[in-house]
Amino acid sequence: MPNRTRPIEKVAKATAKCSTEAAAYGKCVLADYNSVHKDMCVKEFMRLKDCFLAASKKG
Amino acid sequence: MISLHTFRGTFSRRCVAATSGVRTYASQTPGNPMIEIFNRKTKHLQKDRAARNVEESRKTDYLKDEVALRLCERLLDIKRDFPNVLDLGANSCNIARALTTPNLDIAAPEGTATPALAERIAKLTCVDTSHALLHRDDELPFNKEINIHRDVIPDLETLPYQPNTFDAVLSSLSMHWINDLPALLEQVNTILKPDSPFIAAMFGGDTLFELRGSLQLADLERRGGVTPHVSPLVDVRDVGNLLNRAGFKMLTVDVEDIVVEFPDSFALMQDLQAMGESNAIMHREAGPLSRDVLLANEAIYRAMYMEDDAPGIPATFRMIYMIGWKDGGNQPQPLQRGSGELNLKDILGGGDFQKP
Repeated sequence: MPNRTRPIEKVAKATAKCSTEAAAYGKCVLADYNSVHKDMCVKEFMRLKDCFLAASKKG
Repeated sequence: MISLHTFRGTFSRRCVAATSGVRTYASQTPGNPMIEIFNRKTKHLQKDRAARNVEESRKTDYLKDEVALRLCERLLDIKRDFPNVLDLGANSCNIARALTTPNLDIAAPEGTATPALAERIAKLTCVDTSHALLHRDDELPFNKEINIHRDVIPDLETLPYQPNTFDAVLSSLSMHWINDLPALLEQVNTILKPDSPFIAAMFGGDTLFELRGSLQLADLERRGGVTPHVSPLVDVRDVGNLLNRAGFKMLTVDVEDIVVEFPDSFALMQDLQAMGESNAIMHREAGPLSRDVLLANEAIYRAMYMEDDAPGIPATFRMIYMIGWKDGGNQPQPLQRGSGELNLKDILGGGDFQKP
C-alpha cells in the first residue's frame, strides 16, 4: 500500500514537534522516579498533549 | 465378634475411601505443572501477520540476520560434517541464509576464500509455527545453495522428531517465546545424536530494559499502575543450570549486547511489530497502548536514555549464546576430584598476598 501513512507515524511526527514540552514532562517524571504516582506531572503532560493535538491537526 | 469384625472392616474401608477422595481433590495434576506465560496463539498470529507484509518484514530482519551470522561463526570451530541439522524456531530461515554466506571465517588469512558452512551440511530442517514467515523467502537464491527442508509444526514446545535424529540443533532468537524451556531443552537433548552440539542464541536479561523502564514510568504516571509490556526473559546465570538440568555436557554460555539506535520510541515499537516480536504475555491488557501512555513514554524514554546530542534513542538487545553437547562418544570428561598431580601454584606462580 504505497503512500499510506500509518497512524503511528502521524503520532511520531506530531510528537517530534513538541520536544520542549516533552523534555519538561520527562524532567518532571525523572525528578522523583522512585515514587511516581498517578497525575504526578499532569500539568506538564497536559501542556505536551495540547501541543501534540495542535501539531497533529496541522500536519 | 464376627459382626464386630465386619463392622470394623467396612468402617476402615470407608475411611480409606474418604481419605483417598480428599487426596485426589488436593493433589496436583500428574507431570510437571506448567505455568503459561506467553500466549502461543497470539504469538503465532503476530508472526504470521508480520510476515505477510514481506517488504517490512525483510527490512526489519537486521537483528535476526546479524545474530544468525554470529551464531554460525560458532559452528566454524567444530571441524566436522553435519549430515542432518535442525534449525529450531527458524523464523524466516535466517540461519540458512547465514550458512550459505561465504567467507564467514574472519580468522582465515586475508585473501583466502573459505567455503560457506552449507557445504558441510547435507540437510537442514527449518521448523517454525508460522507458515507465512517460514516460507517468506522460498524464492530467494540462497535456497538453492543448501538442501533445505521446511517444517511447519503447530507448537514449538512439542517436537515431532525421533530420538537420536540430528547431528546438530541450532536455534536463533526463538526460544524467548517458549513457556516451558526446561522441557524443550530435554527434548532437544533427546533428538540429538550422542556427542552432538546444540548451539542457540536467545534474547535474555536486560533486553529492551530502556523500553521496559520508560513504559513502566509512563503507565504509573498516566494511569496509576503497571501492566507487563516487555516479556520476562531468562537471566544469563540461569542458562547454565537449564542446560545442565537437560543433560547437556561441556557447556559454554556467553553474552553479547547489540545496541540499536532508533529515531524515536515509535519507530522501535513499529520495528518490533514488523519482526513479529510484539507483546504476547498471557495476562497482558487487551488492545493497543493508549495514546497518552505512548506520548508519555516517548518523553520519558528520551529524558532517561538519550545521550546529549545523539540523533536517536538507544535500544539494547542482550543476546545469550549457549553451546551444550549431548553426552556420548569419546567426549572429554572431567577428571576425578583430587586426581591432579601438579600444583597450579607451581605453574602460575603467586598465591601469596604481597604486603604493601
